[in-house]
Amino acid sequence: MQGQKRSSKHAKKISFSLAASTLALGLWASVAHSQSDPNEAAAQRGRKQFQQACGFCHAQDATGGRGPDLVRSPLVAHDKKGELIGEVIRNGRPDKGMPPLPATDEQIADIAAFLHARALEALRSSGVPSDYPVEKLLTGDAQAGKHFFEGAGGCKNCHSPTGDLADIARKYSSIELEARMLYPEGKRQSAVITLPSGEQISGPVVHYDDFVIAVRDDSGWYRSFSRGKVKVELHDPLEAHRKLLDKLTQADVHNLFTYVYSLK
Amino acid sequence: MRVHFFKAMCDVCDCKIQLKEKLRLCFTFRQTVGFLVAAILMVALLAPNLSAQGLDPAALLRPPTDVWPTYNGDYSGIRFSTLDQINAGNVESLSLAWVFRTPGSVLKSTPLEVNGILYFSAPDNVWAVDARYGRLVWHYRRVSEGDHIGHRGVAMYKESLYFTTPDAHLVCLNAKDGSVRWIVELADGKLGYFATMAPLVVRDHVVVGVSGDVTDVRGFLESVDPETGAIQWRWYTTPEPGEPGSETWPKDTDAIHHGGGMTWMTGTYDPALNLLYWGIGNPNPVLAGEGRPGDNLYTCSIVALNADTGKLVWYFQPSPHDVHDWDAVQTPVLFDADFKGKKRKLLAQASRNGFFFVLDRTNGEHLLTAPFIDQTWSSGIDSRGRPIAKPEATPSPDGALVEPGSDGSTNWMAPSFDPQTGLFYVNARRIFSVYYNTVTGKAEGWGGRDRILWANSTLRALDYRTGKVVWNRELGEGESIAGILTTAGRLLFSADNAGNLLALDPTNGQTLWHVNMGGELLASPMTYELDGRQYVLVPVQDVLYAFALPASATSKPETTVNTGAVQKNAVH
Repeated sequence: MQGQKRSSKHAKKISFSLAASTLALGLWASVAHSQSDPNEAAAQRGRKQFQQACGFCHAQDATGGRGPDLVRSPLVAHDKKGELIGEVIRNGRPDKGMPPLPATDEQIADIAAFLHARALEALRSSGVPSDYPVEKLLTGDAQAGKHFFEGAGGCKNCHSPTGDLADIARKYSSIELEARMLYPEGKRQSAVITLPSGEQISGPVVHYDDFVIAVRDDSGWYRSFSRGKVKVELHDPLEAHRKLLDKLTQADVHNLFTYVYSLK
Repeated sequence: MRVHFFKAMCDVCDCKIQLKEKLRLCFTFRQTVGFLVAAILMVALLAPNLSAQGLDPAALLRPPTDVWPTYNGDYSGIRFSTLDQINAGNVESLSLAWVFRTPGSVLKSTPLEVNGILYFSAPDNVWAVDARYGRLVWHYRRVSEGDHIGHRGVAMYKESLYFTTPDAHLVCLNAKDGSVRWIVELADGKLGYFATMAPLVVRDHVVVGVSGDVTDVRGFLESVDPETGAIQWRWYTTPEPGEPGSETWPKDTDAIHHGGGMTWMTGTYDPALNLLYWGIGNPNPVLAGEGRPGDNLYTCSIVALNADTGKLVWYFQPSPHDVHDWDAVQTPVLFDADFKGKKRKLLAQASRNGFFFVLDRTNGEHLLTAPFIDQTWSSGIDSRGRPIAKPEATPSPDGALVEPGSDGSTNWMAPSFDPQTGLFYVNARRIFSVYYNTVTGKAEGWGGRDRILWANSTLRALDYRTGKVVWNRELGEGESIAGILTTAGRLLFSADNAGNLLALDPTNGQTLWHVNMGGELLASPMTYELDGRQYVLVPVQDVLYAFALPASATSKPETTVNTGAVQKNAVH
């Protein structure tokens, strides 16, 4: 797919999920628009009707069996409120072995709402939902995670289960917690800048590239310097996390997450 | 063929009237075009130079320095210009020539430059702009539904431009005034297709591809008649059951017909071999591959097609059975060079999966596979030169930590090959991601997503003979999508993540010149020469900057400023 996320340091992660959801939402919007807000109740009624009348051939979730997958169906994609779907239901597809099925306008509208909702689910599958079940992530061994935390991982050098990590699992959703465990972005670098005179200025970094360093100094004022004229010592609180990313095995990640999740 | 295609689509949709209207328009335009062609022929017979504002087809074969007639500048995709007026010795005095704004429309397009006019695009928009002075010639706007993620540019054939749209249509415009010659539907936007790519003109073929992997649709590349938009050939990126390649898909399921493989970037072309080289997109469902066991040809492949027939001649697959969205659409760069003591016609691609591939482009023979940046997904290279995926790098319900993330070690931004240094340049990123497979039933669409943790960008020079990194220049944290241009002036133009436009020494990556552009480069720089003055064009967000040496440094003696007049003015 066309990965074109923007890339400034702080907006990186936001932009990633935005790009993903914009993509889905773009289509979602056009689908939603074309079917005039499918309401969930109709889709729920439609699910039952579909499963009884159509599920035998098209599968309970409409993904196809003896009959075609209707989530991917061009006809469903072009249908707005059942006008095309209804025609097929009432007339059948005798040439393909589908019998005509009597249905009221309401039933057809409900089935259409269900099928459109299924198509939406497929579109939305390009993002991990914020309510992703945490149980799916708890595949590790908490004891092994604790061991890694206190030993090879080096986590305890900066973190404490009863200090900064106390109740951490209550503060974030499952995916968010795992991401922050691996790389809690947003922590700002700080710098000590030594001027040619020997004077030192330090503070959180506002801008940093090959040519310019800018910080907020002790008094809160913005100060910028040409990199060629000063000595810069950077302190990056996330350096240990980046080094860890290089070393972690899948088992380490799952064990550590299972342990961190237990901190609540 | 186009008519049959429309009819087939109409049978299952409610847009009969709309499509008939398009068909009618199409035929009306065909008649109009007929007259136009006759008129042009008459004019051409009387005075061959009168249609000088159009594109001389010969320019596509050997681009002179005053024209940039196609997305990559020429068919090779090397993005190297022979211009050297701006060079390592004087780049410090580079200055702003003009600025053109496209408020609200982010530019990811590489402008064409033909006879003093620039043609470039954003989704729904095409601009023609005076290449000397940055003044608007015309602006075409056609708003449509569909994905507006970006737009790469337009193609030109004689006096026509070709522009793809968010609703997967191809628009043919009159280059003179931006009026519409015809519009045809490439694919059904309702199914999730859209288009962002700059078509490639090869003789009387306009080769055009499509985008869209949020739904499980089938990719294709097609060639249309430049005068009418009629389909000349269409090549589907996944085979029909029973055809060669179909053995790489499961039998008796609908997977092969919903397998994705989009053609969303511009390919390259070798006129001597008459072969088109195209990078093919990822398979669908994107991250959930359990319903499509097998290599899934020709997704994530580099393919060579006969330009006249669209028939597959050879293929090479950088990512068999991809489950990470690592499409292989990155430019297949063509150059002739020595490889292990033998002069060869080469094709090189720095692929999204983090590996650099070199092939013999006459027959697809594999010559080299080497990682160009750190990666954690592959355990080695198989006998055919394809990276071997580690099972544990497969997206899983509890997440798989993998480098690179789905945005890839590189992406659609242009690489460059500099024949003077013999180095291949690529914008390379380190991205750590956790890939989740979220599927509960049959996978449809993406079936999951990766969560990006950290990204860092570099610009790298690779030795094409070994794939080894000759030099590396850090671009900063985040994901750069800045493209690269090299020139005979011993310069490499690109940008860092802090919004600095950079002119680097291509031999070692040292900065020779830079300027803060006020935004990130999301496109690729290009260059041309007009009236003896070389321009470097850089689209940054919704601003197009033209840089050149000061006019006084490039103008001819007779146009130098009269010193007396300057002194006189100075008195005021």
